Amino acid sequence: MSFILKNAVANAGRRATFRPQVGVSAYRSLHTSKPSAAQSPVPHPSSSTDPAHPITQIANYGSNQQSLENPQNKAGPCCSGALSGTNSSKFILEYVLSTLDKVANWARQGSMWPMTFGLACCAVEMMHMAAARYDQDRLGVVFRASPRQSDIMIVAGTLTNKMAPALRKVYDQMPEPRWVISMGSCANGGGYYHYSYSVVRGCDRKWFVLFVVFVLIRMSSCAGIVPVDIYVPGCPPTAEALLYGMLQLQRKMRRSRKGVLWYRK
Amino acid sequence: MVSLHRTIRNMRRVGLREWWRQMQYIGDAKSGVLVGKDQFGNRYYENMNAEEEVPGRQRWVDFAQHEYHASQVPPEWHSWISHIRKDPPTNDSVIKNMTPPWQTPWVENLTGTRGAFKTYNTAAPKINAWEPKTISRGA
Repeated sequence: MSFILKNAVANAGRRATFRPQVGVSAYRSLHTSKPSAAQSPVPHPSSSTDPAHPITQIANYGSNQQSLENPQNKAGPCCSGALSGTNSSKFILEYVLSTLDKVANWARQGSMWPMTFGLACCAVEMMHMAAARYDQDRLGVVFRASPRQSDIMIVAGTLTNKMAPALRKVYDQMPEPRWVISMGSCANGGGYYHYSYSVVRGCDRKWFVLFVVFVLIRMSSCAGIVPVDIYVPGCPPTAEALLYGMLQLQRKMRRSRKGVLWYRK
Repeated sequence: MVSLHRTIRNMRRVGLREWWRQMQYIGDAKSGVLVGKDQFGNRYYENMNAEEEVPGRQRWVDFAQHEYHASQVPPEWHSWISHIRKDPPTNDSVIKNMTPPWQTPWVENLTGTRGAFKTYNTAAPKINAWEPKTISRGA
């Protein structure tokens, strides 16, 4: 419980995320009597109107993602004066790898084929996304009836205990890389049926509660039933909201830097 | 609708440079009146000529950022571009007079960054997991 309360305090506002790292601001020189707060760098702004430095970029300052998106010379700028030696070749390799990653991302985001897992009324909105007004096909999104030929699973609706093993089996049949969109309140966290005895409280529900139901599932899946990438809120979400969720998933695909990550490890 | 005639006409109107930008970001050659610019540098256009633009495509935005998405449009301009309000916020007297001074600046969707919203609960949990307590047996 104290953990939950701590989480609540930590997430109390967006400003908390822009606060400088504790490790930096808590550092204090022995030769000064100034409080440590006075030495901390200028806090990041909580909004920005500059298109060259948008708020999405500011929010990622100092993150692993920012480091991955910028190819870097690991030796640091101090000794990379000339384009010679192993340092520059490392830099070039990272540059090539991040470009290859971008090409792969571009190919992936251009043809997202969702596996439809329509479970309840959300499925109707999912159909609306495919219909003429919202027209998912202009984004290259085509519903695919076979899990072996699809990239994305849209969990649309209430996931019941009875259906959960089937959902996981379908997910296991999908080829890598795969993504999951949780659509609607019921798939996000149980929603209206949160206190029902027969409903999974969210399709990313943790293993330990449902241990009895999921003994057949392999142990590597103990993080939950399926790992969710995008949560679309609503009851049910509009087709527009789901389409926006697909666009957010495209953003997520665009951020992927698997090649650089592999090389740095 | 898109046709070769329309593309060439709009290309001549807006110029090659702007046309190339439009093809990269909008995917269509469009020409219209520059209605305004918001605080982020997004430019808003309108072309109400029924012979040139079909309904639904009469108002559009040219995003300032390379990584653009819909939530970069602030709410005042959203209401204009979705035809909720007739006039742009620069001309709309209601929006001009009723915008409160304490209004916080608009922030786009921060999903996927460190600023992303995370749900949290401030209430005490109703259900607690069972933590077995064992009493050590005397020797």
